[in-house]
Amino acid sequence: MIEKITPDRKSILANIRIQRFTPSEHKSAYFDNFKVNVETGMTVLEALRLIKNTQDSSLTFRAFCRSKICGSCAVRVNGKPVLACSTQLMPILEDFKKDSVSIQPLKNMPVLRDLVVDIEPVIEKLSKMHPYLMENRERIPETLEQESIMSKQEHSRFDYITDCILCGSCYSACSAVDADPSYAGPLTLGKAYRFSADVRDDFKGERMQAAVDQGLWSCAQCRKCINVCPKDTRPAVSIQRMRKMSIDDGIHDTAGSRRAKAYTGDVAKYGQVNKPMLPVIVNGPKGWAAIEAADNYLKKHGIEPTRQVCTLGGQSSTQKIYDKVKELEAKGENKT
Amino acid sequence: MLTYDILIVGSGGAGLYAALESRMEEDLQVGVLTKVYPTRSHTGAAQGGVNAALANLDPTDTWQDHWFDTVKGSDYLADQDAAEIMTREAPMVVREMEHWGCPFSRTDEGKIAQRPFGGASKPRACFSADKVGHVMLHTLYEQGIRHGVNFLNEWQVLSLMHDGQRCQGVTAINTQTGRVHTIQAKAVILATGGHGRIYWTRTSNALGNTGDGTAIAYRAGLPIKDMEFIQFHPTGLRRTGILVSEGARGEGGFLLNGLGERFMSRYAPEKMELGPRDLVSRSCETEVREGRAGPEGEVFLDLTHLGRERILERLPQIRELCIEFEGVDPIEEPIPIKPTAHYSMGGIHTDLNGQTSIEGIYAAGEAGCVSVHGANRLGGNSLLDILIFGRRAGKHALEYARNNSFVPVDTGQEEADTQMIASMMEGDSGASIADIRRAMGNLMAEKVGVYRNGKDLESAVSELADLQEQFKTVRIQDKTKAFNTELVAALELKNMLDLAEVVAVGALERKESRGAHTREDHPERDDENWLAHTMAAMGDDGRPKLDFSPVTITEFEPKARTY
Amino acid sequence: MSEKIRYGFYSGCCFQGADARFFDILRDVFAKVDVELDLIEDAVCCGSGVIEERSELTSLAVNAKNMAHAEQMGLPLYTPCSTCYNVISNAQKRMKEDPAVHAQVNEILAEQGMEYKGTCKLTHTLWVFAQDVGLDKLKERVTNPLTGLRVASYYGCHTRNPADIQGYESADNPTSLEDILEVLGVQIVEYDTKDDCCGYHLAWPNNDLNMKMTSNVLEGAHTKDVDLMVTSCPLCFKSMDGTQAKALAQTGKNFQLPVLFLPELVGLACGMTSEDMMLKYHGVPVNLRL
Repeated sequence: MIEKITPDRKSILANIRIQRFTPSEHKSAYFDNFKVNVETGMTVLEALRLIKNTQDSSLTFRAFCRSKICGSCAVRVNGKPVLACSTQLMPILEDFKKDSVSIQPLKNMPVLRDLVVDIEPVIEKLSKMHPYLMENRERIPETLEQESIMSKQEHSRFDYITDCILCGSCYSACSAVDADPSYAGPLTLGKAYRFSADVRDDFKGERMQAAVDQGLWSCAQCRKCINVCPKDTRPAVSIQRMRKMSIDDGIHDTAGSRRAKAYTGDVAKYGQVNKPMLPVIVNGPKGWAAIEAADNYLKKHGIEPTRQVCTLGGQSSTQKIYDKVKELEAKGENKT
Repeated sequence: MLTYDILIVGSGGAGLYAALESRMEEDLQVGVLTKVYPTRSHTGAAQGGVNAALANLDPTDTWQDHWFDTVKGSDYLADQDAAEIMTREAPMVVREMEHWGCPFSRTDEGKIAQRPFGGASKPRACFSADKVGHVMLHTLYEQGIRHGVNFLNEWQVLSLMHDGQRCQGVTAINTQTGRVHTIQAKAVILATGGHGRIYWTRTSNALGNTGDGTAIAYRAGLPIKDMEFIQFHPTGLRRTGILVSEGARGEGGFLLNGLGERFMSRYAPEKMELGPRDLVSRSCETEVREGRAGPEGEVFLDLTHLGRERILERLPQIRELCIEFEGVDPIEEPIPIKPTAHYSMGGIHTDLNGQTSIEGIYAAGEAGCVSVHGANRLGGNSLLDILIFGRRAGKHALEYARNNSFVPVDTGQEEADTQMIASMMEGDSGASIADIRRAMGNLMAEKVGVYRNGKDLESAVSELADLQEQFKTVRIQDKTKAFNTELVAALELKNMLDLAEVVAVGALERKESRGAHTREDHPERDDENWLAHTMAAMGDDGRPKLDFSPVTITEFEPKARTY
Repeated sequence: MSEKIRYGFYSGCCFQGADARFFDILRDVFAKVDVELDLIEDAVCCGSGVIEERSELTSLAVNAKNMAHAEQMGLPLYTPCSTCYNVISNAQKRMKEDPAVHAQVNEILAEQGMEYKGTCKLTHTLWVFAQDVGLDKLKERVTNPLTGLRVASYYGCHTRNPADIQGYESADNPTSLEDILEVLGVQIVEYDTKDDCCGYHLAWPNNDLNMKMTSNVLEGAHTKDVDLMVTSCPLCFKSMDGTQAKALAQTGKNFQLPVLFLPELVGLACGMTSEDMMLKYHGVPVNLRL
């Protein structure tokens, strides 16, 4: 019994490499190394606090709740955005098979000092997305005598996104934000979907326009945001759903919506995407330039261009799937 | 100088609700000053529920039942008029939150879902899975964006200013620049949360729950109330104090001491691990005091006998929490735990509108004390408190700001605060912030914790005075002005030391056991002498002076509190 | 002769036009390590994650059908395309987590007499080489170690994200690609943009952004003075090779970085020639001193 009560704890003298930068004092960021005895149970945040308390009191980072709900303490550990408070150090040392670990501030935001970044730009983008409920009076009673009625299923359409703690991990991991700083990024689009998917909301048109304007079609669906989200809010999935809404409302004709329609139609028809003709399908007549360029490229290499779709064998049975889905949807029985 | 009609200090549920309530009339300048970003506030950590007698689950529930449960839970120290207001208005504020988009879980009929909660006679805790505080906080923030609330993010409040009768404003430091500012305001609402951090590592509270608003009010001469009442939760993780919820014991978890004995058989042979929260906390503490703790002064919550499958199926979140925060997989080994300070019942004394003894200065939420929680808060009533009294303070402050002009403010306080900071930044030697904090936390947990007695409390008071002396020698090593988190830590520590002293002095003075306050040397509740609120005000010598004021009893005569 | 490793081969949509050559290249390279591919005859395009923008249920049903075929063949489903791997894995995960959805999908498949049982195993080029063939056997077959080549390795995103579709190795610190490259004898060069996304799936909705992202990744490798980049994803290959000239021109950069699809490099190391690998079809000329 006693052994069970006090199990063995591992301990490694690790090198914690921390990126430092004070804009008023340094020209560029640099790394400081701190030796810390990392034991089983020690989180990244505990290591940071230990260093601040015992080695360098000027080490600057944010932290508040310590329990994975406030979103203050997101940093990058060996490149990956994590919450310092809920990330154990020992498994990372073991995963990377090194006794050294690097801690850096989140990417895609200006560094204010050391591990502290300026999240104002993200908040500004969020604010432009109308991230709040606008009352749908068909659902929300005028007086406080009653609550609105919303079914469990209606609630479940967006409930998973309400876990978002605005920690910025997804924003840091997003290569599209990196390449295009005007792109709103995963968390803001996730929030836009959260409200648009709420049956109590009555503001879908303007919010959808804001989403389209701020890059609804700039997400590459690389799904890193899903990987790094500490609360499993799956922003990339929300973006897919938001795109569906924007196509369903019929107002927002974009290259992205045309692609979605083309892929969906092609798979029904050929069991395959009609790649040779895609430029014209998505971009209209000006797409012919791309087709001609492709033709020339093939000819140059002695290959005869073709307009033939390279079908896969299952094409004959695909239409049945589509018909059945349509039938289920018409009956309101779609379980996704 | 910055000027606001209404300045709200703190951006948790109380602060944001007050801001929304006062912002609904668009001609007034309303600002919210917060030392974090609004959605970081500790309201977000509340998991369980917010109480309101909606009667969605049990049609017989009424606000009067809720009222009685609250008063009984408080061990009859709550003011019954305040508890009446809170419970009567509860359904309305919860529905208002819902209308603003708060995603409460739903019943099969699509109404707000409710569940049973400790100390409640009917299932009335409205919830959203295990994240109700989080979704409430975000809903308020979202509506704040919609209604154009101004935020001063990452500002630390320094001093509260008044002319003896009316509010003048505050001074505060902008952490991002390191500059001290005077902020003039007709009305100030202090909504800075609790002060659980006076127990330092022995608390479930956020790092910033350092009682800043309560401390500046106290230093500005305002009375603070019932400070000795601190609620403890029996099962906080050893390293961090983060809560392991009661679900783990409900599912059949054992409490073991360092010898592997299932020690609850000594204290509650019938109920064992399922005894009431305060009894379990005291039992854990007794094991530690009598030398049967684990190697680091902990006891253990053992789930291993439940088996992998049952743990994965029934307690997946608790397992995840233990792995992430403690590095312990409860399937493999027992979870090391310690009782952890959870909630501050006491705070700035206010009337039913949240107004303090100074006109235009308000307090709400855990920073304030109306009092609705008395000696012990019921689960699900803290989120309700912040909504009800945040709202009332906001409404009243709006009226006040509309009908009153600014009170002239001189810049003497800004100069004094700037000077205070400059002197802390000068020089190198001195006591360490980390050492003082740790010493404060340990002595509070050991001597002003779950168990208290006259002898320990006396020594706590004198040790705290020593620590305050040591604090005077603290020098900030980090000399950079911008984002100086070491300076913020020092300012917070100063606040905590002041409040810790009031808690200890109040606990020493109150010679009875009531609610969360357990005196080994005075084990019984004593209504004859102690059915009274403790009011503490800072004396000329800087030490707390205590006074006592009667409890408002309108409906329920004090009875023994049994469940 | 050792025993063959067999897979149900799901080719996806990427090997069309000039890239149709990869059907042959893949078979020839796999033959070197005793891997045989049995084409899944009745496969349907996975939808590339785009069908979800119209109907998630359709996407799930289509991909359940793909997996059901592999189940009938009694073979693991192998796809060379990282996006196909990602989309099919996500469908698998979604149905595993939500039995009601799984049942509804099977209701749809029943119309064509099919059922997705949920037993199908999925794999990808990386793990075919690193796990199933194994590094030891791969090493045996390397007759032309590519010693001295400085190589930037690039996984791309869709075999790594999200982490839980990834049953083979750590998603945060995958090593299969580097493990394979080490066996081939090359020198692996670290670079900053290795984990960034090339933006291939923005080619249609936001081509400019696709070009910027591709350019960013290429530049990160280029600044480390590498001889070539190798990627295990055929779509990243299209971005990095096929559209490299355009991407760099649009972002004002002027260099050429040869890019190889992983099976090509394996083929070369196993003694196949540049002609066998049809390297002349690359957008960026590949002139390796082999």
